[in-house]
Amino acid sequence: MSTTDTVPVRTDGEPGPEPRPAARDRSPATSRRLRGLAERHALLLLLVAVAAFFSFYPPSAERFATSANLNVLLGNQATVALLALAVILPLVCGYFDFSLGAVAVASTVLTAGLMSFRDLPLGVAMAAGIGLGVAVGFVNGLLVTRLGLNSFVTTLGMATLLGGLIQWYTGGQTIQAGLDPRLARFGSATLLGIPQVVYVVVVVAVLLWYLLTQTPFGRGLYAIGSNPRSAALVGIRVQRSAWTTFVLAGAIAGVVGVLALARSGSATADTGTPMLFPALAAAFLGATAVRPGFFNVVGTIIGVLFVSVAVSGLTLSGASAWASPVFNGASLLVAVGLSHYLGRSRGVRT
Amino acid sequence: MSSALAAAAPSDSEIALRVSGLGKRFGATVALDGADLALRHGTVHALVGGNGCGKSTVIKVLAGVHRADVGRIEVAGRTWDASDYDPRTARAAGLRFVHQDLGLFPQLSIAENVALDAGYPTATGSRVRWGALHRRVAGLLEAYEVEADPRTPVGALRPAQRTLVAICRALQDQEADQRLVLVLDEPTATLPQHESDVLLEAVRRRADKGQTVLIVSHRMPEVLGVCEDFTVFRDGRTVAALVGRRPTEQDLVRHMTGVDPAVSSDRALAPGAIRSGSPAPRAKQLRRGSSPAADPGVVLSVRGLTGGPLRGVDLDVHRGEIVGVAGLVGSGRSSLLRTVFGELPPVSGSVDVRSADGPARPTQDIGSRMDAGVALVPEDRAGEAAFADLAVRDNLTVTVRRRYWRPWGMDTRAEEADAGALVDRYGVRTASTAIPLAALSGGNQQKVVLARWLQRTPSLLLLDEPTQGVDVMSRADIYASVREAAAAGCAVLVASSDLLELCSLCDRVVVLRDGRITADVAGDDLTPDGLTALTQLTADTPPRSAAHQGAIR
Ligand SMILES: Nc1ncnc2c1ncn2[C@@H]1O[C@H](COP(=O)(O)OP(=O)(O)OP(=O)(O)O)[C@@H](O)[C@H]1O
Ligand SMILES: [Mg+2]
Repeated sequence: MSTTDTVPVRTDGEPGPEPRPAARDRSPATSRRLRGLAERHALLLLLVAVAAFFSFYPPSAERFATSANLNVLLGNQATVALLALAVILPLVCGYFDFSLGAVAVASTVLTAGLMSFRDLPLGVAMAAGIGLGVAVGFVNGLLVTRLGLNSFVTTLGMATLLGGLIQWYTGGQTIQAGLDPRLARFGSATLLGIPQVVYVVVVVAVLLWYLLTQTPFGRGLYAIGSNPRSAALVGIRVQRSAWTTFVLAGAIAGVVGVLALARSGSATADTGTPMLFPALAAAFLGATAVRPGFFNVVGTIIGVLFVSVAVSGLTLSGASAWASPVFNGASLLVAVGLSHYLGRSRGVRT
Repeated sequence: MSSALAAAAPSDSEIALRVSGLGKRFGATVALDGADLALRHGTVHALVGGNGCGKSTVIKVLAGVHRADVGRIEVAGRTWDASDYDPRTARAAGLRFVHQDLGLFPQLSIAENVALDAGYPTATGSRVRWGALHRRVAGLLEAYEVEADPRTPVGALRPAQRTLVAICRALQDQEADQRLVLVLDEPTATLPQHESDVLLEAVRRRADKGQTVLIVSHRMPEVLGVCEDFTVFRDGRTVAALVGRRPTEQDLVRHMTGVDPAVSSDRALAPGAIRSGSPAPRAKQLRRGSSPAADPGVVLSVRGLTGGPLRGVDLDVHRGEIVGVAGLVGSGRSSLLRTVFGELPPVSGSVDVRSADGPARPTQDIGSRMDAGVALVPEDRAGEAAFADLAVRDNLTVTVRRRYWRPWGMDTRAEEADAGALVDRYGVRTASTAIPLAALSGGNQQKVVLARWLQRTPSLLLLDEPTQGVDVMSRADIYASVREAAAAGCAVLVASSDLLELCSLCDRVVVLRDGRITADVAGDDLTPDGLTALTQLTADTPPRSAAHQGAIR
């Protein structure tokens, strides 16, 4: 119930040019608006600062700001970015989905396995991988929204289950042989100097941004996240909407799996956690930016870039292998702390 | 006004609590601007003022929830600077609070909520003595006539019961401790007549024993009946401190608005004032004269409805008619409204809603009822109407969000303009439409919820405690808006525990008892006293008043 002394002005999450000043903001609140501005763009500024630092810091300067490094960075982070976008969908309505990492790996493994073990064509294998994501999302949504199970526990259970199935399906082996070469070619090709997978992320991000901020459905999702009882009483189909977010998130995670296969050219059995946690960190970091206190697409993308630029810089300046998980974990903690603080400083009282 | 202040100053020895020069800003909003307040020992003191004038803020400062920017707080002779005053100081000084938002933990049981405040009774080895706790809480609940088991989670209670639990919690200890200062922020806003009578009686009794009570309320007759001293706030400042004087309702309203009621008579339209001959009945007469001729169509027809507490309800509401629903807590008022809105499925019986273009789809869900032009302002604002962390604008447009959709995105410009117009029209006090709803005062949040539905120009408007927490002046405006909607053909069904409100707003009032309609009153029979008798005295159970007097002792 404690409250800080200001109420930051929020806008409706438009990422583009600075929104016009609110028509009814009669107060000469320039300083307040500045504070709000600073708060909205703090993460972006931090990203620029970190990038600038590693471009000039002698140990990393030589290789950091090169187009080769940028390509590696963007290409490798495409899957994490896409997974982070999947993660925010249920989060907007107030639900966790911890199974998305495992869904992505399951999709990778299934797509690879169908081509390698069964000689199925690429299209069918990809459809099966993405379809698996849809199916898992559907089941998660059913359990969480219809049966009212706790999303945290349910999806954690689902993640464990999928992890086991992945082990069973691959027998612990890496699937490498018999994959359609077109997939790996797509994964390593660039268009206009940028890895092609990045375009997939951009397209999904734009679609999701439109869905969340520019449609009545997206507005409804934020309303559900704010107060599901109130949302039901203004005619929002709470269960159906939340369920939809689980299915969409599962589908995107399925795409993540296919992209991961395209990037690496092989499918290795793992639990998906190594990819999920950076994605969660990015989602929570993103909730401190652009529309502070709310999960949003643009903030999430900035969050991914921030984490990956920092980790890449650290690696290039000779930090050890442990630097990356430590940084990821620390930024997740800071992000969660910050969004909690922001939530309170908006003067929440019931 | 300064004369009122000067005459006020009581001698220092009788002061139980004094705040002086309190200032508090929330960003650009000045919530308190040098507020003063002095409570005499052993009195019931009323703090009144318009919505958003800073009453709750003063109380939160007293509780240590907010820290004031400047000012001093003095309790029983000890003085603190506002900057080093915290919740523990407040408790140690003998202050007990019921906040406007109650501050209960919905997932915890009643007993745990009560114990969190006063401490759990423990046996050796700090084991909680649940048996003892439950017995003590059961006793408290009985004294305030809450029919609930101490193990029930608070979230499962009705709003009125939740208020009573918060009151039990604040009043649980030390009946005889004379140092206690009880601070109650709109405790009666959601309480039915009988329950608020019980509460006010308990408050009165404690003051007679030497305790001091500060009470905030927008129900003027109530504070006029129970309070000795009055402090009036306007725009975060104390504009009048009336000590040991009996002001009239008009006096108080004049101080609140700073406008002489003679100059602007419609602003002073307090419900109390309406009964003592104001322009309101004339407006009602006018509309009633014209509506039956215009269209006798039945908008809502309920037949043999059962489900929840309802045991066979038959009811017709016509175009342009305002029908009230009176009844005790648990009589099924809210259930009736919610079933009509399609939220609760009826067990048997039928609900037919006729929209402007023929009968509505037979499907019984909220979506199709809304399409048929039905609107519901629910009783529990915080739990079922507010989106506390969303902007005021989003809270206003959430019922019409499809209106603003264009293929290239939401038309935020139009949305902004409409939200601004609603804020102006319903007198919502807010710095901008972009701030979160939670930053608004309770009454202003209620206006946002009302505006959200009235903008849809519904054909059937269901109102559950529509003016809870709304100040006297805005209440008149809300009545005017509802009448306007009715005059345009909207059918209105109002459930309210404020019988005065039902009498001044409605054409006809039905009385619900034990899930059935037991009376239908209109015209000259429609008086608060008549309704009180119909809702309570004829109840099958032995007369409630006798029962509660027994309990209180
Ligand atoms: N947490 C907050 N953040 C920002 N502004 C706030 C906050 N709490 C209160 N305010 C503002 O302070 C002013 C006073 O609010 P307060 O709640 O004290 O009013 P009130 O007198 O209790 O009104 P009501 O009768 O409607 O309950 C209002 O303008 C309100 O918008
Ligand atoms: Mg208040």
